[in-house]
Amino acid sequence: MSAPAGRPELVIDGFPPHRRRWVEIATSADHKDLGRVLIAGAFGFLFIALVELLLMRLQLAIPENTFLTPVTFNRMLSLYGATAVFLFAIPLALGFFYYVAPLQIGARGTALPRLGQLGTWLFIAGGTILYSGFLFTPTEAGVNPLAPLSSIAFLPNNGVDAWAAATGLATLGFVLIAIDLVATLRRLRAPGMAWRRLPVFSWAAAICSWLLLVIGPVMLAAITMLLIDRNFDGIFFAGDAGGSPLLWQHLSWIFYTGTYMLVLIFALGAIAEIVPALARKPLFNRGAVIGSLAAIAVIGTLAWMQNMYSAPVGIGWMYFAMTMSLALIVPFGLIFFNLIATLRGGAVRMRAPLLFAAGAIAAISIGLASEVCHSMVAVGWRLQHTTDSTAATHFALVGGAVFGGFAALHWWFPKMTGRTMGETLARFSFWTMLLGILVAFVPLFLAGAEEGQVVDAYKFFGATGVDAYNLIATIGAFVLAAGILMTVVNAILSREGGAPAGHDAWGGDSLEWFALSPPEPHNFDVLPDVRSSRPLRDIREAIAHRSARAERPVGESQPVA
Amino acid sequence: MAPHSPGTDQIDTLLWIGFVAAAILIVAVIGGLLYVLRRYHAERGAEPRQVTGGRGIQLRVSAALGAFTAVILVLSIVYTDKARETPATGAAGLQVSHSEPLKIATTGQQWLWRYDYPNDAFSYYKLVVPVDTAVELDLVTTDVVHTWDVPDLAPERDAVPGKTNHVVFSADEEGTYFGQASTLSGQAYAAMRTEVEVVSPEEYEAFIENQKKDIQAAQDRVVGLLENGETP
Repeated sequence: MSAPAGRPELVIDGFPPHRRRWVEIATSADHKDLGRVLIAGAFGFLFIALVELLLMRLQLAIPENTFLTPVTFNRMLSLYGATAVFLFAIPLALGFFYYVAPLQIGARGTALPRLGQLGTWLFIAGGTILYSGFLFTPTEAGVNPLAPLSSIAFLPNNGVDAWAAATGLATLGFVLIAIDLVATLRRLRAPGMAWRRLPVFSWAAAICSWLLLVIGPVMLAAITMLLIDRNFDGIFFAGDAGGSPLLWQHLSWIFYTGTYMLVLIFALGAIAEIVPALARKPLFNRGAVIGSLAAIAVIGTLAWMQNMYSAPVGIGWMYFAMTMSLALIVPFGLIFFNLIATLRGGAVRMRAPLLFAAGAIAAISIGLASEVCHSMVAVGWRLQHTTDSTAATHFALVGGAVFGGFAALHWWFPKMTGRTMGETLARFSFWTMLLGILVAFVPLFLAGAEEGQVVDAYKFFGATGVDAYNLIATIGAFVLAAGILMTVVNAILSREGGAPAGHDAWGGDSLEWFALSPPEPHNFDVLPDVRSSRPLRDIREAIAHRSARAERPVGESQPVA
Repeated sequence: MAPHSPGTDQIDTLLWIGFVAAAILIVAVIGGLLYVLRRYHAERGAEPRQVTGGRGIQLRVSAALGAFTAVILVLSIVYTDKARETPATGAAGLQVSHSEPLKIATTGQQWLWRYDYPNDAFSYYKLVVPVDTAVELDLVTTDVVHTWDVPDLAPERDAVPGKTNHVVFSADEEGTYFGQASTLSGQAYAAMRTEVEVVSPEEYEAFIENQKKDIQAAQDRVVGLLENGETP
């Protein structure tokens, strides 16, 4: 292809030498490379979390089992919690946001790429530190290491310090990525990409980034206090010396509750992209969905004391937390309503992303409806700290991060690799996972609600009516893990062997489908003018319009105004 | 499990209200989803109508959801307030003093509960209380956070360092009720159980006397050993 005469031509003497692939990835500040590092890292840690979950479930398969020692069980529990939250759920969500949002807004990169790069590798460093804990002693302080169990007096080894360093570095990394995303979404939108035209998933990215800018520093402060308490004779959380153990609970629950909301906002944001495209209809009401996502971030995080109903906290605060938790029914209900209304009357193509999206909606609704029970103060006094709450949390977060994350993975995989994930294996994986989550966690609902089986315990006693529930739950956990592994295998196989996907694999309406698959390092050569919230549909209509005019017989053509 | 205290009766009622509310929400979402997914399939070449919803329907749906939420919220507050009330001691119960519940200092420690009764008696692991009597446990801890959780009798409550938390209940039937600490407190956490034995006021008095005698005997023995220059 030669340049038209009269235009300046850029001459270069070859391309810079090609570096090795891992050097390329390790030094890249491109949001797509970093997004893939985040997503791949998240799935790697998901695998580790599953191993830990299965070991714990094996221990709890029969009463008074001695498969794991109490200390080993507590270590598995603590590592599982930290891995699932800090090393899987948040980086997975951020990975997709970081990869997709700049493409969706028509940016050629991010605003502060080196900050995002630092953030990504801080997350990897955090994960490495948490697991290098195996070289000395991992933490055994629990999913949320409550003061004063986490203090130097009760756990004098290095485990809690490693936990604090790991989660602290990862959280710092997430905050840095969030800063980059906020700056990118504010400053680098394509011409015409007004906020009101921003795709829902990019809105979710903006909301989650702002949320992380609020809750991330809160957790960093708490972790810093913990490190000071443990290593420099601090008294922040020492109840007898003027500090307060409840301070840790408040600060950490703000973060954990915010994270819970972040995962669900991510999942619903992705689902709100998938559902309209695969129903070939616009989202029923964009404004309502986006407003609801923002409301969830604010109201949901304000409900942090929902986790502290049994603590010595005034009843007024508990009612405040309950009001906030119950108020979440409105935004979540509105989103579910709009998703269902979008599907209604649509031309629904039941492809893998929509299958996983439907599974995510079902699982999230079961989890959230159970949380409605738990947030009723008096019911919380009975059900919290039982396996009923384990089941509720897992339905909502496995529904959000795993089902929702897999929906996002199947959806954007063609964009990332240029290939579609195998549909057959995806279906097998989905139905196995759906069976698995029901068999694994419904019995725990019953064990907690009927018999009051407590959480986090390394064993349960026979003749308490929970033997069968726990055995079934263990089997279900293995089924769930098998289903999850199928999708991971599917993703690995499809990277090279999947059916080639076009640049617009699904007929999506947002700008990422305008880029090549996989996108060029600079994302776009040219950008269309954005004139609505569905820029690609505008282009398709313009093309259809033009070709229809070209096909029309001469003489019939109308003058174009 | 079955409620055996006025407070847990209220909790049980609210629990069923919660189950019903949750069931309504789950059926509405999953039912609606399954319906549209089964009903609307892609037809070749068909382009669905590009329908969007206006503000009116969003407001109506929000109002319906808000009304549902308000009902649950009000019911929750009503039943929670009832569950918090200090029960009155009945005619069959131990008559301690005017309207004051029987106060028992309860101490969590890794991994055992200690109960200090009035009149200097104490017991470990097993709490003995008279039937039909208002009991208040004042929860403290000597080490980490422990949750006192006997679901048949009372709402769960944390013992947190530096604070005193309170549990009130009045058992309506004699018998033994089991509980298990429900906040991770270290290695032997799962073994940190407790047992509440509800007995008649006479048996309770006898138990207290017996405990006091046993404690005094043990102390005398230690004092005797010390006086003889031996290590106990």
